[in-house]
Amino acid sequence: MSAPGITEPTEAITRARAGDVEAWGELYRDYAPAIFRFCRRALPTREDAEDATMEIFMKLKDKLVQYDSTRSFSAWLYKVSANHCWDMLRRRKIRQDKETDDLDNLPLEHPDPSQLDMLIEQRTSEEVRKALDKLGGRARMALVMRYYSDMSYDEIADALGVRRAFVGVVLLRARHELRQALEGNAALAAGGAL
Amino acid sequence: MSEVPKDNMKHLDEMTLLLYIERQLDRARGLEVSAHTQECDECSTLLRALERESRLLTRAMLEEDEPLPSRLAQFQERARKSMQWIWGLVFGLAATGVYALYTEYIQPWQQQLEAAGFGGSNLLGLLIFQGAMWKGWQSMITLLEVLAMVTLAGLGAMFFRRRIRRGSALALVFAGFCTVLALPTGASATEKRGGQNPTVGKEETIKGDVYLAGDRVRVEGTVDGDVFAAGKDIDIDGHVTGDVISAGRYLRIRGTVDGNVRSCGNTAVISGNLGKNIMWFGDAVTVDATGKVGGGVTMFGGTLAIDGHLNRDILFYGEEVNVNGAVGGSIREKGNMMIIGSNAQVDGPVKFEGNKPADVAPGAKLASPVEFKQMEKKREYRQSHYYIWRVIWTAAFVLFGMVLFLLVPGFARETVNAAELYGAPIGLGILVFFGVPLAAIIACFTVVGIPLAVFVAGFWILMLCCAEIVVGAVIGNLILGRATDTWGMIGRMALGFVIVRIVYTPLAHVHVVGLLAGLGIWMWGMGAISLALYRRLQPVIAPNVPSAPYTPPMPPNTTVGGPLPA
Repeated sequence: MSAPGITEPTEAITRARAGDVEAWGELYRDYAPAIFRFCRRALPTREDAEDATMEIFMKLKDKLVQYDSTRSFSAWLYKVSANHCWDMLRRRKIRQDKETDDLDNLPLEHPDPSQLDMLIEQRTSEEVRKALDKLGGRARMALVMRYYSDMSYDEIADALGVRRAFVGVVLLRARHELRQALEGNAALAAGGAL
Repeated sequence: MSEVPKDNMKHLDEMTLLLYIERQLDRARGLEVSAHTQECDECSTLLRALERESRLLTRAMLEEDEPLPSRLAQFQERARKSMQWIWGLVFGLAATGVYALYTEYIQPWQQQLEAAGFGGSNLLGLLIFQGAMWKGWQSMITLLEVLAMVTLAGLGAMFFRRRIRRGSALALVFAGFCTVLALPTGASATEKRGGQNPTVGKEETIKGDVYLAGDRVRVEGTVDGDVFAAGKDIDIDGHVTGDVISAGRYLRIRGTVDGNVRSCGNTAVISGNLGKNIMWFGDAVTVDATGKVGGGVTMFGGTLAIDGHLNRDILFYGEEVNVNGAVGGSIREKGNMMIIGSNAQVDGPVKFEGNKPADVAPGAKLASPVEFKQMEKKREYRQSHYYIWRVIWTAAFVLFGMVLFLLVPGFARETVNAAELYGAPIGLGILVFFGVPLAAIIACFTVVGIPLAVFVAGFWILMLCCAEIVVGAVIGNLILGRATDTWGMIGRMALGFVIVRIVYTPLAHVHVVGLLAGLGIWMWGMGAISLALYRRLQPVIAPNVPSAPYTPPMPPNTTVGGPLPA
């Protein structure tokens, strides 16, 4: 999960670890926009995202020594960011999603493909972003981790504190919530006919 | 992961199809799904819809719909730019500060203290616990209250920060601050006068405090408040109802001062009446035969001569005390000489630690004989209890360091990392080590500055205590490598600290090398703490600054839209 267009900043990381302020600035300039956008998608308000971005980079100063340079830096950074954002959400007790136990009971029904197709066809990116804002914390985090930062199921399970087997369920439930938010149709969210 | 019967054909459920496009199915199941979707139009349509949904999600999330906020664009950037000239400034200031401190304070004091023959190891304790130190400080309470309110306002704003918008929080802090400043502060007013000879005339009455600065400062009239004076010659011939706080060559008080004198300068002569205490940093203080002091004297300097009347105690560190008048309290001197003349009357005990016994004239009236203690250079390191105490102190410092590391692990790590830069922390440490006490002394000459100076001095002492711990942690890291967890850091700190103490303790008894090693450790550690603090303060909100140019996002290598498994 490397970031196309941005080569791994191995040298900058080495220098930043040694306290080089210039190197730190390089890392910040290269990665702050993406991390801000990650936080913006994952957290409820813009100010939360700003705070989280700064806190993540402050935290990064301490955590940089823990980074394993054989792995992708951006993947590691997203993981740190995901953990931080999820911690923020948990601290505020806005986990409005159903808990893991409920995930077993998700009906695995077959939605009407043509209506789902139509719904997706008609919606713009902006509408999707607005709908994302209406989702519960876990649903939004799961979607952002998977479809923004391309985190693996293992990483998502680790960040959200659920078993790996439930990650697919969390993602599917999040999609249903999103469809509901997009359409306002409870039947769609339940996996029924669109 | 089941197949749902529908329209006489078993269709794949949505979960299975999602896991299929997410490449989470094992190969055998993936092949089954692939084969099924090739035959079943409905499942194939659903599969494509899910893929499109994934792409829509990714696109919606990656699209840049709002620029990077200005405060994020400026976060780190400003500090990064400023660092280039800050180091030049720091080293320049450090050099200037060291030179000024040495020539103006250290050198003359060193000469005097050496002449007096004491090391001053317990100066601070005695100074703080001496009653005269705390007399007349009641006026500071109001200021402390204001500071407490501002602090509370800040804490309140921090607490509500999550619940209210940042702008509102900032406005709240400023509003609170302005409210505090706007609160009525009594009827007092402050007047400032400068020029060659700033004077308060004979017929003049000033209600409130007055600041006077010039070559020759004269107070001939009445000041109903404090006098803050700086000049070559300062004459108080009138009436001051508050304190006199001064810095100058000569201070002469021929009039009446109801409060205290707190000064630093060359010579002070009290011929008039002083209601409370004298605290003097300088060469000589003389209370003339006509002079009356209602309180006591605390002095650090050359010579104290009491020919007049002193109502309370004397605490003196310097060269010589010469008493030929009346002292209502005790005398405690650590210095070279004590002379008690035939006209002297001392109502309290007299304790003198010096190089030779006090010279007491036959007619002197003393409440008790002078308790003399010969000053001697201790060689306590030859005794076993010295090492026992060293071990106890080392253990105490390690414990102290452990508590600090556990309380603020992040900051501790930052400090140790900063110390490992060597050049920058040592440079900054020189500035902090010499500059902060100098600034605190200068701050003492203003009312607002005194509590600030006390706070800064306290913080400076705390940093001094932590300096060896920081250096110990660096040494530990050098030996064992960097730790990734807090307990690892503590272990390295403990090891390094013990090594520092083992090496440093014998060195401390080698005159120059020990002094330099100790100073080096203190400066290094203090510089590292200061540098870490500086870095912590870097994220400054910079409103109204244009955003940085847009940096493209890092598009993830999404699995969606790629070739499906065969």
